Amino acid sequence: MNVTVLAKFVPNPTGTPALGPDNLLIRDAGDGALDPGDEFGLELALQLVEAQGGEVTVVSMGPDEALTGVQRGLAMGAHRGLLVTDPALKGADALVTARVLAAAIARSTYDLVIAGVESTDGYTGTMPATLAELLGVASVTAVRKLEPDGEGFRAERQTESGYDVLTAPKPALVTVTAGATDPRYPSLKGIMAAKSKPVETVTAAGLGVADLAATQTVAAVTEAPAKAGGEIVSGDEAVTRIADLLTEAKVI
Amino acid sequence: MGATWVYAEVTPEGTLPSALELLTKARTLGGDVAAVALGPGATNAAGELGAHGATTVYASDDQVFADRPGRPAAHTLHQLIGQHTPSLILFPGSYEGRDVAGCLQALTGSTLMANVTDVAGPSRAQTEIFGGTKIVEVDLAGPEPRLVLVRPKSFPAEPSGGTAEVVMVDAVTPTGPTATIVERHAEAATGPKLEEANVVIAGGRGLGGPEPFAMLDDLAAAIGGAAVGASRAAVDAGWVPYAYQVGQTGKTVKPEVYIAAGISGALQHVVGMKGAKRIVAINKDADAPILKIADLGVVGDLFQIVPALTEEVRRRASS
Amino acid sequence: MAVIAVAVVVFVRRASARMTLLRAAPAAARTADPGARARRELAHVLGQRKLFQKALPGVMHAFIFWGFLVLFPTIIEAMLAIVDDGRSLPVIGQAPWFLFLVDVFATLVAVGIAIAFYIRKVQRPDRFRGSHMEEADKILIAILGIVATLLLWNATKIALGQTLHPSAEPVANALSNLFGTGQPTETLERVFVWSHVLIVLGFLAYLPKSKHLHIITAVPNVYFAKNGPSGHLEKLEIDLEGPEEDLRFGVATARDLSKKQLLDLFSCTECGRCQEVCPAWNTGKPLSPKLLIMDLRDAVAGVDPAAGEPTGEIELQPLVPNAVTDEVVWDCVTCGACMRECPVDIEHVDTIVDLRRNLVMAESRFPTEAGTMLRGVEGPNQNPWSQPASARTDWIGDIPVRVLAPGDPAPEYLFWVGCAGAFDDRAKKTTQSVARLLNAAGVDWAVLGGRERCTGDPARRMGHEYLFQMLAEQNVATFADAGITKVVATCAHCFNTLANEYPDYGATLEVVHHTELLSHLLAERKLLTTPGASGTVTYHDACYLGRHNGRFDPPRDVLGSTGLTATEMERARERSFCCGAGGARMWMEEDAGTRINDTRFAEAQGTGADTLAVACPYCFVMLDDAAKAAGSEMRVADVATLLAEALGEPTTRP
Repeated sequence: MNVTVLAKFVPNPTGTPALGPDNLLIRDAGDGALDPGDEFGLELALQLVEAQGGEVTVVSMGPDEALTGVQRGLAMGAHRGLLVTDPALKGADALVTARVLAAAIARSTYDLVIAGVESTDGYTGTMPATLAELLGVASVTAVRKLEPDGEGFRAERQTESGYDVLTAPKPALVTVTAGATDPRYPSLKGIMAAKSKPVETVTAAGLGVADLAATQTVAAVTEAPAKAGGEIVSGDEAVTRIADLLTEAKVI
Repeated sequence: MGATWVYAEVTPEGTLPSALELLTKARTLGGDVAAVALGPGATNAAGELGAHGATTVYASDDQVFADRPGRPAAHTLHQLIGQHTPSLILFPGSYEGRDVAGCLQALTGSTLMANVTDVAGPSRAQTEIFGGTKIVEVDLAGPEPRLVLVRPKSFPAEPSGGTAEVVMVDAVTPTGPTATIVERHAEAATGPKLEEANVVIAGGRGLGGPEPFAMLDDLAAAIGGAAVGASRAAVDAGWVPYAYQVGQTGKTVKPEVYIAAGISGALQHVVGMKGAKRIVAINKDADAPILKIADLGVVGDLFQIVPALTEEVRRRASS
Repeated sequence: MAVIAVAVVVFVRRASARMTLLRAAPAAARTADPGARARRELAHVLGQRKLFQKALPGVMHAFIFWGFLVLFPTIIEAMLAIVDDGRSLPVIGQAPWFLFLVDVFATLVAVGIAIAFYIRKVQRPDRFRGSHMEEADKILIAILGIVATLLLWNATKIALGQTLHPSAEPVANALSNLFGTGQPTETLERVFVWSHVLIVLGFLAYLPKSKHLHIITAVPNVYFAKNGPSGHLEKLEIDLEGPEEDLRFGVATARDLSKKQLLDLFSCTECGRCQEVCPAWNTGKPLSPKLLIMDLRDAVAGVDPAAGEPTGEIELQPLVPNAVTDEVVWDCVTCGACMRECPVDIEHVDTIVDLRRNLVMAESRFPTEAGTMLRGVEGPNQNPWSQPASARTDWIGDIPVRVLAPGDPAPEYLFWVGCAGAFDDRAKKTTQSVARLLNAAGVDWAVLGGRERCTGDPARRMGHEYLFQMLAEQNVATFADAGITKVVATCAHCFNTLANEYPDYGATLEVVHHTELLSHLLAERKLLTTPGASGTVTYHDACYLGRHNGRFDPPRDVLGSTGLTATEMERARERSFCCGAGGARMWMEEDAGTRINDTRFAEAQGTGADTLAVACPYCFVMLDDAAKAAGSEMRVADVATLLAEALGEPTTRP
């Protein structure tokens, strides 16, 4: 079973972000890591391949430093890596990303593509479905459990009210939820072995993807109306204030 | 501009509220408004969809939409787009909405913006970043229709009166591998997993024992899509299982709202929940550290406040 | 002669198995400062110092041990006398003082054996649970046999008139009245000398296979023990760029144990003093330091040295989980109570950490919840709680504090706040108290602010030596860049790591704990208190400040100047009972038995004091949690905060 795992390199998830004058995030070069959400997918891939045989390929699209994210995947046990890095891809949106990744993944044979449900920095959560359609494979999102099943897969998919069980033929693309697996911590031996594992680097042009036009641009950034941040209440109004907050958060 | 379409989620039990909210918004944008309802219950929903602003409802009751997530709906939509050329399509920010919109984007090659909190038309939408402290206005460009995924509960639902013309459409069953739903499980009792829930209500030492956790279960049920968690103190005391534990040595959660009841807010616990978009803390101790990091801190008796809050939530939901 | 030869051959053959293992084992760098080593040898071996940490067993063993030192020449004499009847040792053989010593010490040995049996059969202490009692009984009886035959032999010699000064041997002289002067006594004299020698030789042959081998191995084991503080773990250099064959990731199989570690295993007498004080064992966990050493020893004994050099063909069983379980390895809080008690200076903690090093670095096998801490320390923010580095100065508020920017002149003292002191609410109060006190005393001090990184202590105690190495090198560079020479730390773990372990990475720092500095400032009258505080306080000795580093008095001095009345817990100072957070256990769940912190807090409560004083943020968190769990009104507070209150400095009551 050959599994391809998407691994996004995201800025420091616990740092305090700031916007530059061009309304884009200021990213400290080197101050980033493999998206923690993608580690759940990597772990699932490794478990499947350990049980069934085969190889895990880590694919990432990002700046040069995204290589460290790929290397973390290799250190966890993946067999090979592929990094798409190109200055023309800076600020690429979900559609461009899907096109580029589709071109990259289509070059090899695979039974399964795994991604996280949404990335920590973009959290659109739509790119994997787009990618699946471009690749022409079955897609199941929000998977909390996955097993091989005959010639395909059996997946438990999280829903608003519980979960559904789906079958999907090979090849398929799934996105996994947080908590679907317990990602392993790479051992030092793994980190050392990662150095000698093959990593291919390609550009967008090398993949034959030409249409990189951005279709979303930031027009303006304004301060939101001051939330009741850090207010303390007591007494009778407390319940009303909490309910107001829940309404404001759109959870009721 | 061309029409604004709303992708309406329908079930045999009725229309999901998101459809009505999006239609209400769509009415304000100018131009024609249509709803696309695909799946069992579609034709039954037409009345309500019309009453909220859809002048046309493209409907199909085909079972394939319920059995196969994403692809059939996206391909059917794509065909409709080819026939009727809308400028803008609003999708609900649900699992289904994301699947359909994501798949559709591959077919249309048009832009898709997610986590939208407001929409001005096919060329302008709005979202929030940095925990809701900044509002970002985004210009949308490229081929039409522009696709927009709207965050739940962004708009109110208000009927306008009116009826829709129902246009029956054929389901497009795409070729190629597609996933099929074989079982459905409703976990009304246990609700969503702690890490996945939109709202987490956590109990700590202040609850005093295992029984008051039922109070938190009630509140979770009233809010809907909520999970109950606990601090390490409650787990150590044996009141709830370790699966409930939120914190450094438990689970890390990032819900929309985190309600901490009777939790002091030791660093060990905070580490597991500080990513929440909004934090509400209820504690009788005005010096409890958690009140410093809460967006809304309530100094009071949780045994009064939690049940009263449950009542208030139910009251608001029904009105 | 033939008999001697046989016994010696058997001894050598059996011992050679152990010797081959020792020769093949990797060396440990334990040769520095022979003077200190010799002094320890004198104190621990000759002086039996650690044995006297328990009064009656100490007396028992000292009698037997000193007895054997004194009686050793008599063994030679007996062998000579077998060959040449009537022969005695040259020079001393008939000297009255020698005869007297022999007589007294032989009797003392017998008394010692009697005490030993009293302890083992009447008192029956729990520390012997799991020990091989029968083997020990046989050894004790053999020893009794040796001295009994010696006394009886001397008695018959007196009866036969062979001894010149019979009154120099009171006991033997008294016994000699049992014997006549004629033939049966002559035979008995032969019987006793022969049985004496045979028992001794039999003992010799038995030695290498039994735990009594400690009489030989304990001597080098004490010599090669660590010279410095017990909290100082040995550096394990990890160079990922270097040749792979040179990499060691700790101990995986018996072949990875160093010579010192093997000596440790061979020296254990199963006395159980370590087991008796272990916080894990005492709260119902499966870890017993004694059983751990015994299990490792048994695994090593199974290794076939005839297999030769490891060529990879023979798959030696991994020690974890085959000799000791994962759970046992992770139960340890590295408090060092076991090492403090051990009479032969076995270093249990170092071996446990070595086992952990392999589990973490080579196999990535450890309690999952600790992974969050490792990711935090490894990640961009480099602290166990994954807090943003910029938040390290949040505690300052409106206290006047100098935060060093790169290029600023160095202060006299760098106040190393530590991760707990910066991010944990309770520990922040200690940080604030210390800051106010340093200001009040007019000390020239500053903090590094966002440039501080975790010292790496939790990673190191967990076995992630590589991560520790990276942090140590980084922090040492920061110290050098900022021109820091003196450091004061509030956390006992930071203190131990900075003071003892960072010099291995090139740091040249003078490191003090905040209680030491405060005590010094009080003594110099830079801080003046009117001891007006009332109430009682009991002080909990932090393991990494007290037992591992010998700092017991400074915190007590500081408390003394507050006016609070001090009362001590029974397990205080070197015998302090851990709070449970050490060994990276702060980041792990306790699954079995009762909680260590609850147990310690109950002991503190038992003193009836109003306040429980601590000197380390880990102790603070653990004991405060325990206080809350117990619903107790007892206040838990750091020594610095109590001093600040006595000074009238504003503090918020924790």
